[in-house]
Amino acid sequence: MSTVMKTTRDVKGIGLSIPRPDGPEKVTGQVQYVADLSPRGLLHAKLLRSPHAHARILRIDVSRARALPGVRAVLTAADIPELKRKAPTRAHAVLAIDRVVFAGQPVAAVAADEPAIAEEALDLIDVQYEVLPVSADPLEAMKPGAPPVADAGTEADTSEAQAHGSVAGVTTEAKPAKAVNISQQARIQRGDVAKGFAESDVVIEKTYRVPMVHQGYLEPHAVLAQWDTTGFLTLWSSTQGSFNTRSEVADVLELSENRIKVIPMECGGGFGGKIRALCEPITAILARATGRPVRYVMTRREELEAGMPAPQVIIRLKTGVKRDGTLMAIEGEAVLESGAFSGAVLAVSGVFLASLYRWPSFDVKGFEVLTHKPSIAAYRAPVAPQTIFAIDSQMEQLAKAIGVDPVEFRLRHLQREGDKMANGQPWLSNGGVEVLTRIAEHPLWKKRAEWKASSPTGRLRGTGLSLGGWLGGLQPTGATVRLNPDGSVQVLTGQVDIAGTNIALAQIAATAYGIDVDKVRITTGDTDVAPMTGLSAGSKTIYTVGVAVMEAAKDARNQTLEIAAKELEASVHDLEIDNEKVVVRGVPDKGITLAQIGKKGNLYMSKVQPVLGVSHPAFSQQAPAFCAQLAKIEIDPETGEVTLHDFVVVQDVGKAINPLAIEGQMQGGAVQSLGMALTEALVYDDKARLTNPSLLDYRKLTAADLPNIETIIVEKPSPHGPFGARGVGEPPIVPAPAAIANAIEDATGVRLTELPLSSERIALAIANAT
Amino acid sequence: MAKLVLNCTVNGEPAEVLVQPWDTLLDALRERMGLTGPKEGCGTGDCGACTVHLDGKPIASCLLLAMQARGHVVLTIEGLGRPGALHPLQDAFVRHGVPQCGFCIPGVLMAAAALLTENPHPTEEEIRYGIAGNLCRCTGYTKMLAAITETAGAAAGRRS
Repeated sequence: MSTVMKTTRDVKGIGLSIPRPDGPEKVTGQVQYVADLSPRGLLHAKLLRSPHAHARILRIDVSRARALPGVRAVLTAADIPELKRKAPTRAHAVLAIDRVVFAGQPVAAVAADEPAIAEEALDLIDVQYEVLPVSADPLEAMKPGAPPVADAGTEADTSEAQAHGSVAGVTTEAKPAKAVNISQQARIQRGDVAKGFAESDVVIEKTYRVPMVHQGYLEPHAVLAQWDTTGFLTLWSSTQGSFNTRSEVADVLELSENRIKVIPMECGGGFGGKIRALCEPITAILARATGRPVRYVMTRREELEAGMPAPQVIIRLKTGVKRDGTLMAIEGEAVLESGAFSGAVLAVSGVFLASLYRWPSFDVKGFEVLTHKPSIAAYRAPVAPQTIFAIDSQMEQLAKAIGVDPVEFRLRHLQREGDKMANGQPWLSNGGVEVLTRIAEHPLWKKRAEWKASSPTGRLRGTGLSLGGWLGGLQPTGATVRLNPDGSVQVLTGQVDIAGTNIALAQIAATAYGIDVDKVRITTGDTDVAPMTGLSAGSKTIYTVGVAVMEAAKDARNQTLEIAAKELEASVHDLEIDNEKVVVRGVPDKGITLAQIGKKGNLYMSKVQPVLGVSHPAFSQQAPAFCAQLAKIEIDPETGEVTLHDFVVVQDVGKAINPLAIEGQMQGGAVQSLGMALTEALVYDDKARLTNPSLLDYRKLTAADLPNIETIIVEKPSPHGPFGARGVGEPPIVPAPAAIANAIEDATGVRLTELPLSSERIALAIANAT
Repeated sequence: MAKLVLNCTVNGEPAEVLVQPWDTLLDALRERMGLTGPKEGCGTGDCGACTVHLDGKPIASCLLLAMQARGHVVLTIEGLGRPGALHPLQDAFVRHGVPQCGFCIPGVLMAAAALLTENPHPTEEEIRYGIAGNLCRCTGYTKMLAAITETAGAAAGRRS
């Protein structure tokens, strides 16, 4: 995994802004998503969902629905032998057994000839509920005596949390008696916090709240399932990881994984929401019951009511500093509302709260709390934007309170490579200092006083910035690279390409092999043919699959040179690949083309082995990636309306493999971050029912709400990524909420601590302050 | 209920298909005619992924009953251009690296094409409002603006 790659010639490879080759298919509507598939005999699925957040199911009568012409199957939990009580995950809770635990939970499933018939059948299913009291607020749900969400004895889903926790070294504590809805808790401590506060000159304590938000992918969840006569299941899925989907479905259906093939279709956005299986199991069961292919596509209302959003996060922070700016102590309590099933990651919050900056003493607790709402999942840099909103807002206020420059204050205390994280492990190489320094040099930051002073009558102008990041995801993965008989190169992985990662992987292969990227074809294979490949998530596609592709391409290159050495009777060390030909260095007319070598690998009776480069690495070293963002805003204090005038994203990408694609990631991530900052919230009533289940009322930012997003790429090479690359996807969603809150305070003098920073909140805060 | 015969013009060709009375134009295009370029992102006219042209105007095809298109002229993304013969907007979207997941792109392009037909020299603000009915979650819209601006500018250059 060396970072310096010798190529024998400057090939068209890494570092170039190359548009993705499937662009023409994407802009002409030719690319196929799951909902575009209509095999012969297709049936359409619909799910009957509970209108109540918590209720006992007394009786379900499906007889009238089953009698409707065109209906091919109507199923309840009683019809599915694999279903068990105490479902550990949403995927296992295929249909509610006798109790529903969130509004929108499926209780019955229909497959019919037409979607309209399936919908009509839903109306004919009669369910009698006994409505039960709900836990709608996580702080209330934590208290003894709150209405319980999980069945007694249900295991917490710590699969993700344990993986992160082992890295973070967070200790997990036994849960206190009778707090039935606390499904996980953890605590990290160092030093004497009480002494730290006693010796502080300034202590600030605030509580920050970020509501549940939806990942917002434009393509709703969709799956097509079909069984063959031998009992082999094929799933066409909109997933971020086909192997993960296969494992989860196999577990729920109690099938061997080699009886399932998952074909990852074009994924119309995931952002963490399409990692865990959601509707694959019920679609497969309907297909089994009918013997026909069944397609299920969630409606937008179902997505918002019963998808897998990001958790609500409530963070209470107390921080103390000395007048000279010395950090003394931090105490925190993070509550993550996980909805009806466990699965939140506590450790990310703990690491960023306790050890992004150099606190000599800290005491941070984390709680995962269950409520009667849809269970949560990852959303791009899970829990990092929420956590950075809290800690960065706090740092800004501390700097202001003691009268020091907020950037210098952050720079002075930011952890460097080698400093100990909360768990005692050292921070790895990162560009935190570099991106913060770079954004502070931006003219918009230098001219922030002029901008504020230029406020016209009736308007308030301000500038804010924030620093956040992501520790980097890891997962074993694999790739193969082969040489075709025409001298072109073929790369195979199982990686789902959502954002344009395949072109970057092809560029890596091109540079590592020594051939122009135009001659490289990359394919995403299904779970039957591709090497085991991890999720497209956690900013690890280029960082991990990129290594596999690079190593496989180097392997293929070495095999190619060895074959050429025999053919040319030359030493491997004297050979180079130049213009699709292996030549002897200094003897330009002595050579053999890649096509000739490729053909020899596929000739009858040939003794030359076909070139097949293979790599299947596992990883242990993360590459933290930092992003700083700056917002220049104007506020109407009467209405609280915020106008974004400029927005700047500075990000350390290690090495920019494809700057064009990276800019797109930075801009898209920044706008999701701005949506979380300004407008987005899943709003629930006191019965835990969603009050805004449409895209009219769940307000995402449009082109008319935004300025152009300026991008500045910083390259501080990572020691282990391919050619020094770091993860790119997560960091840009992290900083905007704090940057906007800091800008609002700059403009108005008012500090807001609850997202979204809506016009209403801003106007009320200004009115209350004056 | 008996199906109805829908006659209209789709992408320059006369079309005759059987539809259900409750089918939307989007259903008819996707499920009855195999034109799956227009996407359903919400079904309530809020996201713009289903945008097509009806008699040259951009509409949310999920909000129109299929039979309301009887006798009218429909243009979908499949009729705007095709690989190898891209519309200038499509070409600019590819070169500027606009598509990520790609799900919103057909709708955005149909909205942008209608905008440039109606207003060949839009300001930045007019472009932003021209595609404000189209939600995109991947791109942050910046590269879309660049691609549309460049296309409008190039067309202006050809005319002058």
